[in-house]
Amino acid sequence: MLLCLFLPQLPGKKDLFIEADLMSPLDRIANVSILKQHDVDKLYKVENKPIVSTSDQLCFLVRPRITNMKYVADIVNADKATGRSRKYKIIFSPQKFYTCELVLEEEGIYGDVTCDEWAFYLLPLDDDLLSMELPEFFRDYFLEGDQRWISTVARALQLLNSLFGPFTNTYGIGRCAKMVYEVWRELVEESEGDSQARRPEISHVFLMDRDVDYVTALCSQVVYEGLVDDTFRIKCGSVDFGPDVTSSDRSFKVLLNAQDKVFSEIRNEHFSNVFGFLSQKARNLQTQYDRRRGMDIKQIKNFVSQELKGLKQEHRLLSLHIGACESIMKKKTKQDFQELLKTEHSLLEGFDIRESTSYIEEHIDRQVSPSESLRLMCLLSVTENGLIPKDYRSLKTQYLQSYGPEHLLTFHNLKRIGLLTEQAPGETLTAVESKVSKLVTDRAAGKLTDAFNSLARKSNFRGISKKLGLIPRVDGEYNLKVPRDMAYVFSGAYVPLSCKIIEQVLERQGWLGLEEVVRLLNGNEFAPTEPVTEENPARETQRVILAVFLGGCTFSEISALRFLGKEKGYKFIFLTTAITSSARLMDAMLEAKV
Amino acid sequence: SMAPGALLLEAQREYEKESQKADEYLREIKDQNLLSEAVRQCIEAAGYEHEQEVGGSGAASFGKCFLDKFPPESFVRTCRDLRVLNAIWDYQIGIPLTFAQYKQLTIEVLLDRLVLRRLYPLAIRICEYLRLSEFQGVSRILAHWACYKVQQKDKSDEEVAHAINQKLGDTPGISYSEIAARAYDCGRTELAIKLLEYEPRSGEQVPLLLKMKKSQLALNKAIESGDTDLVYTVVLHLKNELNRGTFFMTLQKQPVALSLYRQFCKHQELETLKDLYNQDDDHQELGNFHVHSSYSSEKRIEGRVAALQNAVDEYYKAKNEFAAKATEDQIKLLRMQRRLQDDLDKPYVDYSLHDTVYGLILDGNHKRAEHLYRDFRVPDKRFWWLKIGALAEREDWEEMEKFSKSKKSPIGYLPFVEICMKHHNRHEARKYAARVTPEQRVKAHILVGYVAADAAIEHKNETEMNLVLSKCTAATDSSVAEKINRAKAQSLKK
Repeated sequence: MLLCLFLPQLPGKKDLFIEADLMSPLDRIANVSILKQHDVDKLYKVENKPIVSTSDQLCFLVRPRITNMKYVADIVNADKATGRSRKYKIIFSPQKFYTCELVLEEEGIYGDVTCDEWAFYLLPLDDDLLSMELPEFFRDYFLEGDQRWISTVARALQLLNSLFGPFTNTYGIGRCAKMVYEVWRELVEESEGDSQARRPEISHVFLMDRDVDYVTALCSQVVYEGLVDDTFRIKCGSVDFGPDVTSSDRSFKVLLNAQDKVFSEIRNEHFSNVFGFLSQKARNLQTQYDRRRGMDIKQIKNFVSQELKGLKQEHRLLSLHIGACESIMKKKTKQDFQELLKTEHSLLEGFDIRESTSYIEEHIDRQVSPSESLRLMCLLSVTENGLIPKDYRSLKTQYLQSYGPEHLLTFHNLKRIGLLTEQAPGETLTAVESKVSKLVTDRAAGKLTDAFNSLARKSNFRGISKKLGLIPRVDGEYNLKVPRDMAYVFSGAYVPLSCKIIEQVLERQGWLGLEEVVRLLNGNEFAPTEPVTEENPARETQRVILAVFLGGCTFSEISALRFLGKEKGYKFIFLTTAITSSARLMDAMLEAKV
Repeated sequence: SMAPGALLLEAQREYEKESQKADEYLREIKDQNLLSEAVRQCIEAAGYEHEQEVGGSGAASFGKCFLDKFPPESFVRTCRDLRVLNAIWDYQIGIPLTFAQYKQLTIEVLLDRLVLRRLYPLAIRICEYLRLSEFQGVSRILAHWACYKVQQKDKSDEEVAHAINQKLGDTPGISYSEIAARAYDCGRTELAIKLLEYEPRSGEQVPLLLKMKKSQLALNKAIESGDTDLVYTVVLHLKNELNRGTFFMTLQKQPVALSLYRQFCKHQELETLKDLYNQDDDHQELGNFHVHSSYSSEKRIEGRVAALQNAVDEYYKAKNEFAAKATEDQIKLLRMQRRLQDDLDKPYVDYSLHDTVYGLILDGNHKRAEHLYRDFRVPDKRFWWLKIGALAEREDWEEMEKFSKSKKSPIGYLPFVEICMKHHNRHEARKYAARVTPEQRVKAHILVGYVAADAAIEHKNETEMNLVLSKCTAATDSSVAEKINRAKAQSLKK
């Protein structure tokens, strides 16, 4: 592992301080014993309190953030004040930023520390899922207009390109996507010559900004994996099942991926099917156990040595997932989950807006959950292209009364990013558009005008939904057991917009015929000028598509695209800046209360 | 000489003369199996015969014809080298290198010498002829040429820049920024800027632009590069170079740079951040700034109130009445909470309005709670929700009943049933179940554990009937189930 290259640079015993965000990723690739081998004495979490380390050498593994630099500076300066001398090393992941050095300099400790970079870009969470584990990407870029992660993503893309490319057909939509694409192209040109004439394993790439589709990310997830994420929060591909799930006094950390035989069969299923599936599975397992009756000694011996372990393992997983299901059911019925889903569906369809608004108001008044309420408000705003002024004011007032006045700043953030806005009376679409185009053509602003997120983008959800047919026509019950389209991930009520766009563009090999949709999505689309078609379609090679989500993607989207892949014979690989969910989006909008 | 090479040369000469002796010589070499050795010798010799170089290579080429598998590389290489030497022996060039000297010197050095003599075209042709990679060959020479070109003072900047671009185009490995740096060294700033325009990598342009004190342009380029580190470099350079006012003005025109600098200030220089907002008359952000400091940097209540008051002023200036009002309410609440804290000796500060009222009711301070409810115009529904929640938590069922009768509940009576059941008080719950509206009665009855069949049938609602049905157990409620099924059948008939 690369990190091990750095640790020996500080020979002898040392204490390692790790930023909380990096703990889980590190856990996936290195365990404590590896670190011990490299003379790491004690492990600490970087947190806002004085340190107790007695070691003479301190090593910090952190993200390149100013706050972290101050943290280190405080430690170093405190040591200086007490006349203590130690060695300090900062390892930045995935890269060092100029501002960090600057802060070290301003704090007067630039000469006291040594720095290194741990170019850790991609964490494979599963067979088809790569995460950059940069949850802050979303806030940094979409809220603060900070583009520092663009080149990081471009580099990750280039890494994949050199391993599995060359990417011949690159599509995308969104400003950030476009920038990443451009920076990546430059990287390709710089390294031209060393990856020629290879048959690409991945030929298609689709880049998408999170702000192209907020709606999908704001919906409650009902596919098993998404639901587990919403309920227990999956961290770096693993989840902590607490005592209520394990029905013991311990909690278990379970790795959720394709290796888990039980999980891999239910992860993409609608929740309503999961229970039935699990009980069927339990019955099968029982019969397999039962087979040992009536076996002779030799058969038993075989059974024990070969099958029993596997069965036991499966048994354990099965009981964990059943426990998880029960726990989810308990939680969800308490909050009247059906009612909540009904409200969401009417918001998506645009029916009974008044009723939904009062539902949300009650939700806030009863303090059901701060982030849930916020999410519903945002969903209402994004689907309706902003709240009518009266509701905008009253919902906000209610929210402040319930959860405290500091959320005034949260609302400001939400407005800036375009998640919770007020319908401007008389401001027609064209007025907004002319503003946008003015901004884009502004020469000084050039190709990167993104600092102006304050120009809250209109969502135009209704128009897009109609154009793309996101709300399936219901004729009879939607059979969730045998889904017919991607809408199944939302109980058949809504086809995720992000996935629909990808489907359409791949089908058309470009944006032709989608001009109106693109306009409503605020443009910034791109496609190869001449799509390279597979030279030999008869060769039956599966088309592999890298779906890149800038600002995070949800498990529901992943499930939907996996389904699409199965239908069309594609294989999707996902690259995301982080796994996200409605709760994570909302959390990112909060203003930290120190 | 009887060396195989000499024999081969002889054979070739005879062949030229169309004499059959050629065959004899050839045969002699071939019989001794020395033909390839002969060819090799001729090739080597060819390198050393200046005046009659055609002889050696001619013989070699002749002998080669009689060999099946003579590797051609050395022959080709020597021929090429000879051509190169021939070219530099030309009287106009006049570099009389011997083959050995040339080999010793290496082609790179030779090229350097040509470049020093400004024999660019020849050098380039040699590169092309020897098929040297562009990077170490043509590009390097073109770069040298361009560096020389920028020193030609007799030509205008446009002409030079144009000429250079014409020649260089986008040859790989060419660094326009290096050429520009040379131009700048010669004092031709304008030319340098023009040349930088051709530099495809914005990142490369920035350091030189800064050096030339073209910081505005550098900022543009840095932003174009999409590299935030670069932008920061320029911004902080500007910060030191310009006075504060101009610095701010510059940022104003560059939203990307401005937002980056704000990020930096947020962590490092809060006061500067305020100044930045002030300069922009960005009252909204100033308001936010004060609100933020009211709960992050200020600890004392007075300080916090003062910060919030500042925020109120700014919000009004920003015409954000909503935020102003909300902040005024917060000031009021803070003061109130402080008083409560003093009077009741319990922590109230920093709770939301909802939680404050809830806390008061929980402690039985109904008067004060009422006061807050009215003072802050808490909506009735909310007040009812929170009050019954708090009363149930303190199990003050008497007060709850009194409250339920104080006026008609704006939230209905189902919530009363629910909250009682949540606290396992079936007895109280039943009281309220009777007051629930017919629409919700079934639900209420189920909650308190009544058999709700009659209510559902009365209400003629099929889903509700099904709901009751699903609660029936075969053992105890079979008669009820039957009753419902009958009613369902009946309603179907209608």
